[in-house]
Amino acid sequence: MSENILKELCNRVLSLFKQTESKEENAKEVACNRLRVVLMQDRTNLTPELLQRMRRELVELLSKYVEMDKDALELNFDQEGDQMALMLSIPVIRAKDEAEIEEALKTEEVDNETEDEEDSDSEEEISEENFEEDEASEEEVNEEIIEKNDENLQEDEATEENK
Amino acid sequence: MTGRVIVITSGKGGVGKTTTNANIGTALARAGNKVVMIDTDLGLRNLDLLLGLENRIVYTIVDVVEERCKLKQALVKDKKNPNLCLLAAAQTRDKTAVTEEQLKEICDKLKKDFDFILVDCPAGIEQGFQNAVAGATEAIVVTTPEMSAVRDADRIIGLLEAKEEIKSYKLLLNRVRPNLIKSNDMMSVEDVVEILSAELIGIIPEDTGIITSTNKGEPIVNDEKSLAGTAYRNVAKRIMGEEVPFIDLEEATSVVAKVKKFFSNLIGKEK
Repeated sequence: MSENILKELCNRVLSLFKQTESKEENAKEVACNRLRVVLMQDRTNLTPELLQRMRRELVELLSKYVEMDKDALELNFDQEGDQMALMLSIPVIRAKDEAEIEEALKTEEVDNETEDEEDSDSEEEISEENFEEDEASEEEVNEEIIEKNDENLQEDEATEENK
Repeated sequence: MTGRVIVITSGKGGVGKTTTNANIGTALARAGNKVVMIDTDLGLRNLDLLLGLENRIVYTIVDVVEERCKLKQALVKDKKNPNLCLLAAAQTRDKTAVTEEQLKEICDKLKKDFDFILVDCPAGIEQGFQNAVAGATEAIVVTTPEMSAVRDADRIIGLLEAKEEIKSYKLLLNRVRPNLIKSNDMMSVEDVVEILSAELIGIIPEDTGIITSTNKGEPIVNDEKSLAGTAYRNVAKRIMGEEVPFIDLEEATSVVAKVKKFFSNLIGKEK
């Protein structure tokens, strides 16, 4: 019993020291880190919510092609001289094989079809989903672009088949 | 003669823009340059006080713009240094009394007669800032190692970068406290430079001498023994193109250095 009490007392005293120490050490670090976050927002007009959303969408997009450690994804803005760079670092756990990638793309198409049954063209819906919160006019423009891309793709496929 | 027009700005108020202006101007003039300082802080003028010239002002920049006097009549000569002049701001008017074009015109005229035109910019990023920057081709961004000052400096740097006329801007870190940096309680010079990724032109230590020198209306660069004064004189040298190493403030403010200074003062020999 007495041993336990002693141990606890010892730990408490130690933790007290640790706390005060780390506080003193951190004042400058805290300032630097807070400033970096604030300046990133000031420079890019990206709020924390938007950054979070960007992160989420990137994970969604990339995990179709590779299996990665989603929680370890790092998204930072780096200032290199006059140029600002978006640095994305994701630990890849494993490369997906062709079949898996195809399946991921297929299930996505199916998902989109079930989500929105009014439209038959599945490619269109991907764009709709991504720009859900944008204005209608922008959506239309995006759809148009993607439609055009589709046409090009189909043409390419056709020429390939001919060969 | 084509003088260089340098605007001294900061975004945040109270970081030492006007003090910097008075000291760099005085140091440049002491080094033999013809210098004119323009106070563009209309309605809140203070540069005259820091130079001890408040009783000599007859005409202001607004009088020049509204053609109540000639430009040369409005230039107030410094008490000690005939190379140094001040074009004072009007205390009774607001920022709209002078336009960007008018300030540019004044700077262009002064360029012919002076080596350096230092423009003291008001705090903020509104019209007062736009006016002050209008005639300048170089800028000194004053900041302190505090979060709010660094954030505002970042804003100002962004605005300066967008201005075609501003060919270069440099950072002046004011009110640096080596003992707080040593104990990790304050951002270091390196931290601020890295965060703002700007070139440094001066590191000025926090110095109680600044308060007394302001009270006397005598820029601290005139005090040969002052550390802040030396730091400001070094800034002036760097502006003139000389390569001067930055003072190691931690070493200069250490106990050993203070004891040395005490004894050298006792003996009476100049360091």
